[in-house]
Amino acid sequence: MRKAILTDITKCIGCLKCVSACKEVHSLKEDEPRIWQKNDGLSADNWTSIIQKPDSHYIRKQCRHCIEPACASVCPVGALHKTEIGAVVYDSSKCLGCRYCMMACPFGIPRYEWDKTVPHVEKCILCYDRIKKGELPACTNACPTGATIFGDRSELLKIAHKRIKENPGKYINKVWGEHEVGGTSVLYLSDIDLGFLSYPVNLETKPLPEKTAKAMESVPFAFVSMGGVMLGLNWIIRRRMELSKEQSKKKESEDE
Amino acid sequence: MNRVHNTKFVLWLIAGFAAAVVLNRFIFGLGVTTNLNDRTPWGLWIGFDVMGGVALASGGFVITAIFYIMKREQFYPLVKPAVLTAFLGYLAVISGLLVDLGLPWNIWHMIIYWNPHSPLFEVGWCVMLYTSVLLLEFSPVPLEKFSRYAKVRNFLMKFRFVFVLLGIMLSTLHQSSLGTLFLIMPFKLYPLWYSNILPIQFFISAIALGLMVVALESLVSHWLYKRKPETNLVAKLCRIAAWVLTLYFVVKITDIIAEDKFSLIFNGAWQSNLFIIEVLISTIIPAVLFAVPKFYNNVKVQWTGSSLVIIGMVLNRIDVGGLVMLGVTGDSYTPAWTEIVISLGIVSIAALVFLFVIENFHVWETQPIEPESIPHKLPLFDYSSRTWLGTPDVSSVTTHSLAFVISFAVGMALMPGKHLHSKGIDNIKVSPASGIDTLYINGNRDNQFVKFPHQAHISRIGKDSCFTCHHLNMPGEKLSQCWECHTSMYTSVDFFKHNSHISNKNANLKCDDCHKSGENRSALTAKKCTSCHPTYNFFTYGKNTIQKYKILSYTDAMHNLCVSCHILESRKLKDKPNLALCSTCHKTQLPDYLSAAVSWKIKVPHFNSVILPGVDLKKKIIKSVLKSQ
Repeated sequence: MRKAILTDITKCIGCLKCVSACKEVHSLKEDEPRIWQKNDGLSADNWTSIIQKPDSHYIRKQCRHCIEPACASVCPVGALHKTEIGAVVYDSSKCLGCRYCMMACPFGIPRYEWDKTVPHVEKCILCYDRIKKGELPACTNACPTGATIFGDRSELLKIAHKRIKENPGKYINKVWGEHEVGGTSVLYLSDIDLGFLSYPVNLETKPLPEKTAKAMESVPFAFVSMGGVMLGLNWIIRRRMELSKEQSKKKESEDE
Repeated sequence: MNRVHNTKFVLWLIAGFAAAVVLNRFIFGLGVTTNLNDRTPWGLWIGFDVMGGVALASGGFVITAIFYIMKREQFYPLVKPAVLTAFLGYLAVISGLLVDLGLPWNIWHMIIYWNPHSPLFEVGWCVMLYTSVLLLEFSPVPLEKFSRYAKVRNFLMKFRFVFVLLGIMLSTLHQSSLGTLFLIMPFKLYPLWYSNILPIQFFISAIALGLMVVALESLVSHWLYKRKPETNLVAKLCRIAAWVLTLYFVVKITDIIAEDKFSLIFNGAWQSNLFIIEVLISTIIPAVLFAVPKFYNNVKVQWTGSSLVIIGMVLNRIDVGGLVMLGVTGDSYTPAWTEIVISLGIVSIAALVFLFVIENFHVWETQPIEPESIPHKLPLFDYSSRTWLGTPDVSSVTTHSLAFVISFAVGMALMPGKHLHSKGIDNIKVSPASGIDTLYINGNRDNQFVKFPHQAHISRIGKDSCFTCHHLNMPGEKLSQCWECHTSMYTSVDFFKHNSHISNKNANLKCDDCHKSGENRSALTAKKCTSCHPTYNFFTYGKNTIQKYKILSYTDAMHNLCVSCHILESRKLKDKPNLALCSTCHKTQLPDYLSAAVSWKIKVPHFNSVILPGVDLKKKIIKSVLKSQ
């Protein structure tokens, strides 16, 4: 069953309990001020963060656990992979540190341990271990107002649409994460536009890995056809040279 | 002095400098030696060393295709140097990648952990295979010198055509796959560069670039060794390049028009202007130059044209590899000098190896190298002073190693010590709050102010509450300000000033006054502060008790006091339920008189003493004036 998290922006009071619970569960160290945190507050030691917007809007940012994750599709050694539960998890023993995942993520989620001599990629793993044990993810467990809840993706989607229907005018009529880049496992209900959570304000609904898949499918074809073309070209040119040699020989013999 | 000798000297200097920086990069990690960050994870090393490097090393497959496949025999003199350049180029790419990777010792993981969906996986494999193929292609040249390897050499020569064919096929794949890398980020790459046929564009431009690299490499090495330039051959390369560049231009422009992006080119954005410059340098100008016979036969034009293509195409790779993404990520990344030095260092080491191979093996066909052009083959005798400068080989080696060692030392010395030992937090000194009754607190100078109205607090919670914040005073003061003791923004500092206690200007105490004689003299065994300073109102927060002589960081001190009280009050007060929110205090707009002061960088000292009772105002003013001096 595909699990998911639904975050209702209107219910969040910005108490940061999810952030501290996440730190405690994953034993992340205290954070240090960094330039880029002015934007979203995520870092190698901060897998989730609260972004504050005017008028008491608090938006929790975390890994979206895309259904077809770009990060996992680009990792050359498969250090990131999508589990059957829906979490995108990271295997630090495979990683070689190319940081392609950080480039490919449309939400800019994966972060790097820049200060370490042996650095790894860090990001939310949807508390994969806890879910397997039957527990709730640390953040949803800690939330005092029920702003962020955990459950099956299909059910959470039903809940989200129900909330929109029952409270007309309260929400923008859209569940963020339902369709973007093929759907994500972290969904948002909001009364303000959440376009700022991803690099382009409007993400396509097509999964991103499809874009490279086409080019990658043609790789064997390109390889073989290039060899064929080169061999063919070589054969034609050689044949021509032979012919011209024979002709010149003939000419020579005729001249004699 | 001599061209070759001087060039090598400079190359060794750069190499030594880079070696020091590389050492530091591996000891201290990427954070302190680069300007890379979470928003710009790929920088100069990927853009120039890897993307540009692979493209620059494309000369090998282009020339072998022309010579072995298309049987253009006249290009024979260019083949061996081109294959050598390609081989060294790929080694340079791999070493650049090893510096850039976070965990370079795991690079072999690509062999055992497969993810065929990843373009990088494909590039990695191709580069690995192609580098081996290039080694096999080139190794007959050095093996020629050793007669006992004749059999191996013959074997390699027999399969040379297969290697060449394999090399071309592999090059096709990874030259284009470097473009595929960026297909997954349509949201980051500026639309003028993003295209579904980016792989094809990359492949075509790699061919043009390869031709030009071979041309420039021939021009440079002939200039270095004062040989007669191969003008005719280079002119032929230029003519082919003109066709390829035209094809590249047509493909690129057709794609842009078909995707309806043409209007973007002239919209004035910096990316668009960069695009115009890039296309001009890399394609239009050289293609026009090389279309005219008068020009492409001229050595000077060959120099300019080939350099333009190389600069332009490398710029293209850097653009795609991250430069134009800065507009989207909103980051301001400029490569750190360390990044630039390492990039240059890799290039110079590759160049040194190239010169070494050229001097010692049979790479050039047409003319042997003139012995005069190699300094270490000449006897070294200083006629003016009538002294023997040592055997020729030794003297040259000495100068070059000296260059390396000295620049290595300079490189080590230049690594900023503050960076090397930094653990992430800089000890930011707290700047005093400004304002009169209402304080505007801007401890870390990021101009995000916190407002603290004195009078409002006093009227709500009474005058006794003053001492909640003003819990301790500097000696001789009555209401010291927060920042006077909590001097550091994020880190805790020592409370106890040992020097002031023992100095005869201040307390003038003997050791025995605080430390019992015979006991181990330490902070833990010393007399308690309160025994001498009974009026001191110490806070004890968690582990940071006064016994450890620590003052909380400014942020912690403020948050502990304000937030705990605000949370309690917010439960009591019905008219202000939002009192406990961060936004109640943070991100306050400044009043006009202060915002002007801030923009003019004038310090406005806060005279809380004006409204608070029992403080010697004169003393305060004198003190603040003294401080500002």
